[in-house]
Amino acid sequence: MSRVKEFTLPDLGEGLTEGEILAWLVKVGDTIELNQLIVEVETAKAAVEIPAKWAGVVTRIFHEAGTTVEVGAPIVAIDTDPSAGPLPSDLPGPVPSAESLAAVEIAPAEGAVEPGLIGGPAPGGRTAVLVGYGPKTTTAKRRPRPGTPAGATTTAPPPTPPRAPVTPPAPAVTARTSGPVLAKPPVRKLARDLGVDLGTITGTGPLGSVTRDDVHQALATVAEAPAVTTAGAAAVFDASREQRITVKGVRKLTAENMVASAFTAPHVTEFLTIDVTRTMKTLEKLKARREFRDVRLSPLLLVAKAVLLAAKRHPMVNSTWSAATNEIVVKEYVNLGIAAATERGLIVPTIKDAGRLTLRELAEALNSLVQVAKSGKTPPSAMTGGTFSITNVGVFGVDSGTPILPPGESAILAFGAIRPMPWVHKGKIKIRQVTTLALSFDHRVIDGELGSKFLRDLGDFLTDPEGALLSWS
Amino acid sequence: MSEIITLGKALNHGLRRTLEQNAKVIIMGEDVGKLGGVFRITDGLQKDFGDDRVIDTPLAEAGIIGTAVGLAIRGYRPVCEIQFDGFVYPAYNQIVAQVAKMFYRSKGHVRLPIVIRIPFGGGIGAVEHHSESPEAYFAHTPGLKVVTCSNPADAYSMIQQAVNSDDPIVFFEPKRRYWEKGEVDLAADLAGAYPLHASRIARAGTDATLLAYGPMVRTALDAAAAAAEDGRNLEVIDLRSLSPVDYDTIYASVRRTGRAIVVHEAPGNIGLGAELAARISEQCFYYLQAPVLRVTGYDIPYPAARVEEEYLPDLDRVLDAVDRSFGW
Amino acid sequence: MANGVSDVGADAPAGGFVQLLTPDGERIDSVTTADGVTYSVDFTDDEYRGLYRDLVTVRRLDAEATALQRQGELGIWASLLGQEAAQVGSGRALRPQDMAFPTYREHGVLYTRSIDPIMPFGLFRGVDQGGWDANEHRFNGYTIVIGSQTLHATGYAMGVTMDGKTGTPDGEAVIAYFGDGATSQGEVNEAFVWAGVFHAPMVFFCQNNQYAISEPLERQTRIPLYRRAAGFGFPGVRIDGNDVLASFAVTRAALDHARNGQGPTLIEAYTYRMGAHTSSDDPTRYRIASEVESWKVKDPISRFKAFLAKQQIGDDGFFAEVDESAKVLALDLRERVLAMPDPAPVSMFDHAYPNGSPEVDAQRRQFTDYHASFEGTDHR
Repeated sequence: MSRVKEFTLPDLGEGLTEGEILAWLVKVGDTIELNQLIVEVETAKAAVEIPAKWAGVVTRIFHEAGTTVEVGAPIVAIDTDPSAGPLPSDLPGPVPSAESLAAVEIAPAEGAVEPGLIGGPAPGGRTAVLVGYGPKTTTAKRRPRPGTPAGATTTAPPPTPPRAPVTPPAPAVTARTSGPVLAKPPVRKLARDLGVDLGTITGTGPLGSVTRDDVHQALATVAEAPAVTTAGAAAVFDASREQRITVKGVRKLTAENMVASAFTAPHVTEFLTIDVTRTMKTLEKLKARREFRDVRLSPLLLVAKAVLLAAKRHPMVNSTWSAATNEIVVKEYVNLGIAAATERGLIVPTIKDAGRLTLRELAEALNSLVQVAKSGKTPPSAMTGGTFSITNVGVFGVDSGTPILPPGESAILAFGAIRPMPWVHKGKIKIRQVTTLALSFDHRVIDGELGSKFLRDLGDFLTDPEGALLSWS
Repeated sequence: MSEIITLGKALNHGLRRTLEQNAKVIIMGEDVGKLGGVFRITDGLQKDFGDDRVIDTPLAEAGIIGTAVGLAIRGYRPVCEIQFDGFVYPAYNQIVAQVAKMFYRSKGHVRLPIVIRIPFGGGIGAVEHHSESPEAYFAHTPGLKVVTCSNPADAYSMIQQAVNSDDPIVFFEPKRRYWEKGEVDLAADLAGAYPLHASRIARAGTDATLLAYGPMVRTALDAAAAAAEDGRNLEVIDLRSLSPVDYDTIYASVRRTGRAIVVHEAPGNIGLGAELAARISEQCFYYLQAPVLRVTGYDIPYPAARVEEEYLPDLDRVLDAVDRSFGW
Repeated sequence: MANGVSDVGADAPAGGFVQLLTPDGERIDSVTTADGVTYSVDFTDDEYRGLYRDLVTVRRLDAEATALQRQGELGIWASLLGQEAAQVGSGRALRPQDMAFPTYREHGVLYTRSIDPIMPFGLFRGVDQGGWDANEHRFNGYTIVIGSQTLHATGYAMGVTMDGKTGTPDGEAVIAYFGDGATSQGEVNEAFVWAGVFHAPMVFFCQNNQYAISEPLERQTRIPLYRRAAGFGFPGVRIDGNDVLASFAVTRAALDHARNGQGPTLIEAYTYRMGAHTSSDDPTRYRIASEVESWKVKDPISRFKAFLAKQQIGDDGFFAEVDESAKVLALDLRERVLAMPDPAPVSMFDHAYPNGSPEVDAQRRQFTDYHASFEGTDHR
């Protein structure tokens, strides 16, 4: 095992093939620790700091800042056992620059071999071989296509060919009328994972194939309205491959509520993506406190708290449009609904007057509410009277959504998955815990400004719970 | 008028017809004359056509092919026999450097209408070098055409078509199937025969496409029969021509079934299955329900006779692959 | 007396060789070998002058080709310098109905078959790989794989017999050319086996120019090459390869032996490769100057010139005219080589199969589209 280890540029995500070195955070000779950030690399997506894979002494930096390096290429060498004495001096020689590698001159030095003899220079810039003209010098330049500046340099972006280069005839975009469902393998997997029947989707891709977007679109349509399969969708009629489910119970009620809400209240949804790292840290702190010793804490708790506190600041979000009396009824008490997926369907049990609960009480209420809902034992009384709801789509691995208001409520918050993502933090790119909040509201009651302010407050709280709490008290 | 005859006998009949119909056809190889060939494929031919048309050659494979080149330049249509697949290698130089290239080298002036017959494949319990599947080495060589029959009727028509073709053709014969019988119309007009370089749907099906050639066609058909009992309806395509491959038939099938499984005895690594998989993936990308799978020999030298059954793809391995395909 | 040859011959190797013209230009009327075969020639003055013209022209064209290669107009050239007599002599012995199978250095034989000397230049320039009709010219395509053509020649000769063209004074004969290095190749030995077993009407003409690239004769054989034939059951004879008369006489006799149905003969033409293996080879790396010098005095053309002068068959005026004619031919050849167009790129898809191939057709179409997508037609 070599004591000097070469660290190669890792795949920074999603199959990116190269990255540009923005800045070295260490230099040759520095002693570094494991995981110490040593270099900042920019990919097509973001700037990332890379931690060292080993501790030791930096012995070599392969590429200067400003160089674009391929994934898998060595970027720094680290002597992992510097105490073992001096290194053998058999490290590879100076690394050729990208330019010199690109245009390798094969012809030997002058005077090395007589012209025309094997290894010697041959006409046309070639090198003589026994059996033919010999290899010639090549350049790293693409052949120009019409409409591009001739002699474009390697640094210019490659010109777009006016005609597609070789290959199978480009599949025409035609509507698929019958026969097998066409879709790329990754799309098939996506559909399967999301429980979508490809055959019910009209494909907009080549040859009438179903695309990823088509699948997502179909899902969104299912969530918001009764799905209506359009003409041109699968004409595969095979009764033996159809399952018929009677609409009743929770599903029936939910459907009716959805329709009532969706087609009565004008829905607007606003999104806010925030860095909730501090919320997560706060949760950790809380877990360590004796007040919360034996109660389960989750991010939902702090989201709920945020909603409750912000609702106090913006009471209008916690109201109802009463068409019958031509009134907007603003309520001081928050009956907080938490959307729960159960075997029988979607229900929204509520925590009554949640604003009066201590944080611990709120936590307990949330836990028991979810448990009871899962067991199917939520009493009807708990399912009515909600004034504000939260739907946690994050547990499904989803970032966000456009939630539909439960009837009688004027705002609903969808709270998505919390993911580590690159984020600008104190002026630098860091990996932070990021999530997206989506607030749907009834535009008869809440206008854009109010909705935005409320949402921003939620964001402020979850970005810095302790700071917000203090500021708002 | 159809007869039930073995694949070997069908080849014998086919070769006889070529000798009858064209005075320039000569058969040459080791033991093909007096003995009639170690598999009796040329049985009786020297007796009827003479030893200047059915020639027992010296034991020199390069010599067989090299002199065939000279004879072809002279205007003859040599049908060379390489006694066993594992012994073709001394001739490989003449085949790929000369036979394959002569037409191209001469810019179309010099044709070499040579047929090189090679019994191939395993399953006969033999010692080393007698059970090889070297078809990829030849299919990979531009300038050669490569075909293989799987049944007596095809053997009869394809050997004649190959001899009549001006292309140089390597003709692989599935030796383990030499004694299997089938119906052959010996009086059929060759002009109406199925095209030499076309693949054929040996069994129509809907659920998955099995692609096979030579000795594995029977294996694939047996697998399809067994699968039918389980309610799976498999389509089997006999490739017949390995270079060029009739891809149109294959693509049409895979676009219907959405699943393809290739079966060949040759080791999987860089075998014909790899080429088929690459092309099918490209041309049927939106239709595929699962990746193209291959059931092949392992990447080891062909093993000893007592374990060869474990090496060769069989019905169970084929159906396991079909199951895997449905798992996607 | 060694088997198959006389023990005379000035500067002959051990075992001797058939020589009818010494390096000094002295004629030897006839030579009888140990086998009892007598070789001689009976030429008119015109015929002698004709041979001289051939020798000079072939060398002059070869020199022009070497120059063209140095100038980058040919990718490679296999020079026959020093081997003119072996090639012109044997080539002139061929009858119109005979068929020749060369290696890739037999430009002298090609010339004697009245083939336009430019014919192989496409190969050396890299615009094609030969591309000529073997049957039309009675001269097979140049074969680069060492020794492979000997099997082709043997098969062809078998075909001659099958066609009933063997066994008469007017029958067809086949000559296969190869070098000393080739005699080690399995396929060449297989050709010997087949030719012997099938009594093929052919001559195996080995130009032993002492080197296979850098490897000397001792690396290819323990015994003189002509003696190999005995092992395969047919006669072998060694000639002074730098003697155009011996080359002619012995080849003619062997060809007649073959066309008369008496089977194959191996002729070893003992000569020397004065130039390099091909143009970028550096012979100074493996042979010494004195060896080359020692062969210069055995030059095939200077001895013949001396002979013509001595016998007053040719004079200075004649020699000058021959030089001048050869030069004109060489310059014409140069012009035509320089005018050779590069093949159209799409033509590389032609002639892969007599019956064509759908695969090749598809790729040709793709290539045409791809090629058209670029500006201009020159590849970088």
